[in-house]
Amino acid sequence: MRKYLLKRVFYMVLTLFLVATITFFLMKLMPGTPYSNQQKMTQQQIQIMNQQYGLNKPIWQQYVIYIFGMLHGDLGTSFQFSNQPVSYLISSRIGASAQLGAQAMIFGVFFGIIIGSIAAINRNTWIDTTSTVVSIIGKSVPNFVLAVLLQYYIALKLGWFPIADWGGFSYTVLPTIALGVGPLAETARFVRTGMVDVLNSDYIELARAKGLSKFGIVYHHALRNSLIPLVTLIGPYTVALMTGSMVIENIFSIPGIGEQFVKSILVNDYPTIMGVTMLFSAGLVAIILLTDIVYGIIDPRIRLSGSEG
Amino acid sequence: MGLKKGMLAAVIAVSTVALAACGSKGSQQDSSQVLHWSEPTELQTLDLSKVVDTVSSDTISNSTEGLYRLGKDSKIEPGLATKTQVSNHGLKYTFTLRKNSKWSNGDPVTAQNFVYSWRRTVNPKTASQYAYLFSGIKNADAVANGKKPVTTLGVKAANKYKLVVTLDKNIPYFKLLMGFTVFFPQDQKAVEQYGSKYGTAAKYMVYNGPYKVAGWNGSNLNWHLVKNKDYWDQKAVKLQKITFQVAKSTTTSYNLYQNKKLDETYLDAEQAKQLSNNKDYVSLKQSRTNYLEFNQTNKEFQNKKIRQALSYAVDRQQLVKKVLGNGSLPAKGIVSQDLASYQGKDFATAAATTTGVTYNKSQAQKLWREGLRELGVKKLSFTLMGDDDDMSKAVTDYLQSQFETNLPGAKVAVENLPKKTRITRAAAGQFDVVLAGWAADFSDPISFLDLFTKNNAYNDGKWDNPTYDRLINVSKTTDVNNQNKRWQDLVAASKLLSQEQGVAPLYQLSQAQLLRSDVKGVVYNTAGIAFNFKHAYIAK
Repeated sequence: MRKYLLKRVFYMVLTLFLVATITFFLMKLMPGTPYSNQQKMTQQQIQIMNQQYGLNKPIWQQYVIYIFGMLHGDLGTSFQFSNQPVSYLISSRIGASAQLGAQAMIFGVFFGIIIGSIAAINRNTWIDTTSTVVSIIGKSVPNFVLAVLLQYYIALKLGWFPIADWGGFSYTVLPTIALGVGPLAETARFVRTGMVDVLNSDYIELARAKGLSKFGIVYHHALRNSLIPLVTLIGPYTVALMTGSMVIENIFSIPGIGEQFVKSILVNDYPTIMGVTMLFSAGLVAIILLTDIVYGIIDPRIRLSGSEG
Repeated sequence: MGLKKGMLAAVIAVSTVALAACGSKGSQQDSSQVLHWSEPTELQTLDLSKVVDTVSSDTISNSTEGLYRLGKDSKIEPGLATKTQVSNHGLKYTFTLRKNSKWSNGDPVTAQNFVYSWRRTVNPKTASQYAYLFSGIKNADAVANGKKPVTTLGVKAANKYKLVVTLDKNIPYFKLLMGFTVFFPQDQKAVEQYGSKYGTAAKYMVYNGPYKVAGWNGSNLNWHLVKNKDYWDQKAVKLQKITFQVAKSTTTSYNLYQNKKLDETYLDAEQAKQLSNNKDYVSLKQSRTNYLEFNQTNKEFQNKKIRQALSYAVDRQQLVKKVLGNGSLPAKGIVSQDLASYQGKDFATAAATTTGVTYNKSQAQKLWREGLRELGVKKLSFTLMGDDDDMSKAVTDYLQSQFETNLPGAKVAVENLPKKTRITRAAAGQFDVVLAGWAADFSDPISFLDLFTKNNAYNDGKWDNPTYDRLINVSKTTDVNNQNKRWQDLVAASKLLSQEQGVAPLYQLSQAQLLRSDVKGVVYNTAGIAFNFKHAYIAK
């Protein structure tokens, strides 16, 4: 187990290093400069600026300098937000994105499981059909459309929640729903399929024969086994949500990281692009490892040391 | 002990007086004097040497005081300068500063603050993207290029309150520039004290303007301006507070506006169409003209008739109404409307021509046929390059269809590129025809007209007209101190550019806005500084 983990961590670091390298060189292939007033600066002025920021050095040198800095925890300073360290930009903005992502995930998975289970138990009835339709709508309506509708009807017309901004819990409700409907639909679909399979299996028949209550069967036997495929889904979904959704953040004026990433690419803000990419990648590789570990816990048949045996 | 007691008594006495004063001047301390404003993007910096975006520049200009303040119709209002002497044929300016201005850390605002600030901005180590605006001040170019030490810059503090500026060449709009953020003073003590954090959050900055910035942590989406009690002209400032909320989606800000959480919101094209009859609707002209630039190193576009035909083939009215629909205006010429005026007449109106900016299909076809004959060809294929944002795409698609339907034998390939790529390619001359745009840095026609002189670094199309160059040159030399003659030179130059179709001006950008009608006194300018809130108030 320990050996396995060490090996996995080694590969994680290697992956991150590769991501950093590839991103760095791809980023340098983008045309233009990180200066927003580029149009009005002469070539000479741009050269002077490049000199100040070390952008006139050969790319491999810039790469070495960047990697060296990163290993020392220095992600550089942003061009767009003059003098602002990238580490500060990320740390001051990741909180809102992470909170929102986590809430959306909890909301989505919780209600997804309930809807999926109810549908599976009442298979081929109107309840099942309704829940399938709800799932399909939830999956196919883009979350920004939902966000705009929620904002208009629930916040502006009914006044139940704030329209936008970031303050207390009430500010998070609408964005959480808008963001959580996707995972909700996905979860419901997975749980329903998984549970229909499980409910048809022999051991459920046995449990029923033993006289266990319907709720007992579903809760103790069916649910747990139908959750396994869900774990694969939840991991990457969580990373995607917690690292921010540009559209939802824009609509609800949430100071999150999602928009920052897209904007930094558009304006060639090199250090920010690198910083946020590394954050995303680190989150993703970490969650993949975590998923594999969780697998082993909920299903002992999947053994972590499998590769050695 | 006795001293402490005495001070306590004094404090109590002063507070009582102050409180009483509050009571008597009720309207000035009124809590209803709060303005709620939306911003389309984040505040990026408070460091005036580094600022590049409008939101930051507006915030700085409302919280810092320079020699002058940019007022209504781009006219300067009094700032720190109480007296300005111009001598040596406009090459030397002596500004006498008021003595009752201080920074929020208690330091007095002195002439040395200007010397320090200007040197800091021009110093190549600071990497300011607007250092070029100092060009014309003695040695500014050499200092910016690292050829001369910053101490040689033509700005000196003759004494604590006397600033002397020496110019290399006469700048007729020099006083106007003094109302711009980049020429404002900075407190050396604060810059050094905060070091690399200077200007990265509200608390890492000092203020001497009508308002002080508060609540900005460097990356959040809300902040406010609060009235600065120490401002020299604080009696003129009526608002107690202005709150700012970043709303990147105009749907959001419009909802907040309807809910009375905001007093102002920008509108996108769709909203602008629907709300154009709303009583709060305002169209904010911008000092930005978009135009077609022809690559005149290609022999096809050296042909004046071809250029004119392409320009006549575009229905600019339809372009702004149907394609853009955001309140933008058809261009009258290269210089934007409401930028500069002389004797009550707007430059764009004075320099308007019938040729070069109007739609005339038959004239277009006639010129096109003649042009093709002169070139000895039957067909002409070319590439139209533009940006890849939605608006530019819509415009280039529209132009393509206009050219191909109105001009027989025209074959247009559209190429939409990311803005920075488009700029790089245009600067390198790698294009046939490009949809370009230019925003004036300051409210003077020269801000546009300089571009198209032969040796200008931004003359991407390489248009070359000796008469035009001579007019621009005369306006800067012989006629520089004669306001009337200079104006006439520039009007003539602008007309010539339209008639010869050095470039084909298309439209002037405009931003639709809703502004609650009880908000008064907000000054908007098309160039330099957008919003000046010094005299703003809420009417009752």
